[in-house]
Amino acid sequence: MPPRLFEETVLPHLDAAFNYARWLTRNDADAEDVVQDACVRAMRFFSSLRDDDARPWLFAIVRNTWYSRVSRRPSLTEATPLDSARDQRPDDALDPEERLLQRHTVARVRAALEQLPVDFREVIVLREIEGLSYKEIAAVVRVPIGTVMSRLARARERLLAVLKPATRMETLP
Amino acid sequence: MSCENVERDLDAYVDHELDPDGATAVRDHLSGCAACRRRVAEREALGRLVRSAPYYPAPDRLRARVSARTTRSTSVRRLVTWAAAAVLVVSVGGGIALMRSTATRGDAMVNEVVNGHVRSLMADHLFDVRSTDQHTVKPWFLGKLDFSPPVVDLASIGFPLVGGRLDYLGGRPVAALVYQRQQHTINVFVSPERDGAFAAIDVRLVRGFHIHHWIRDGMSFWAVSDLNDAELTEFARALQAS
Repeated sequence: MPPRLFEETVLPHLDAAFNYARWLTRNDADAEDVVQDACVRAMRFFSSLRDDDARPWLFAIVRNTWYSRVSRRPSLTEATPLDSARDQRPDDALDPEERLLQRHTVARVRAALEQLPVDFREVIVLREIEGLSYKEIAAVVRVPIGTVMSRLARARERLLAVLKPATRMETLP
Repeated sequence: MSCENVERDLDAYVDHELDPDGATAVRDHLSGCAACRRRVAEREALGRLVRSAPYYPAPDRLRARVSARTTRSTSVRRLVTWAAAAVLVVSVGGGIALMRSTATRGDAMVNEVVNGHVRSLMADHLFDVRSTDQHTVKPWFLGKLDFSPPVVDLASIGFPLVGGRLDYLGGRPVAALVYQRQQHTINVFVSPERDGAFAAIDVRLVRGFHIHHWIRDGMSFWAVSDLNDAELTEFARALQAS
């Protein structure tokens, strides 16, 4: 085997890394900073990757990078883990423009996801959008598989509660 | 199995994370319980809904910045590698070439499969023919290859066929069939099996990509993706059984 090259091994997962970071941070600028820092770290730790799956490995680095930034700037509300204040926000609190946006399914789904506490949001994103297995999610988030399962179940219940009233789930595409 | 027990396993069932016995038990219960069937349908619909949420690809600016850094660090690393290789050549001469065998040829092939997959994603040349219709994709290869690859759509189990293209592996033209799973691309390289050299290769994880290889009806199949192992295995089994 020729030596594994960073650009062949890790760079193909740059989109996935950014997507994950974007859902963690909920804004483009922070996601860019996080992924750039994460890539620098990934390069430094590249030799530790061996034959492991590069994508979960990169997710774990993105996550650690994000958490270390958050802990340096604890005042940032949107970066606070378990952000339940936003999660509880009733629709009535939205301004008319936001309410208009919410009529569109995609916008509604995005809003529902963004309002989930980050611990729930990330397991949903890793499972449903990135297609990671429970074992891979457990490795990225560094919790037992049982915790992954209970977070997923609770995240789905919350999403169903938010999305069900306006959309008949059975008839969705 | 009671509804209570099923409820506990619902997410794992929907996510294909139950062991075969557990999945059978849930399926048995579902066949007689409309309420639990509705819960499963709800979760599956929610999954589709969540996957309709925006996918945020890396901005070009970020990609350029990261690439610029890796090129710098790689050229240093390459220099070190070359220096090490030079030392090796001096000390053991040409002996290394003799150690190449069918085993390393298998490794080389696996490596080409991954390179082919990465190339198709990075060079933005995933399709020559873009179609979800197997009856469009299959005839497209006619006259372009000296064999006819079997083409089946697996949309019914969540792996839609999205197109095909010509590719080269091991210096030979191969048919590349492209399937999609959520945001993941699966390349299946198909070519006639010529010498049986790679028959023993089964499942691999190379550079973060899962690879399945099998031979059927004289054809060699390589499925490669960044999809997790469980789902790629499900895909490979379905394709083998089709």
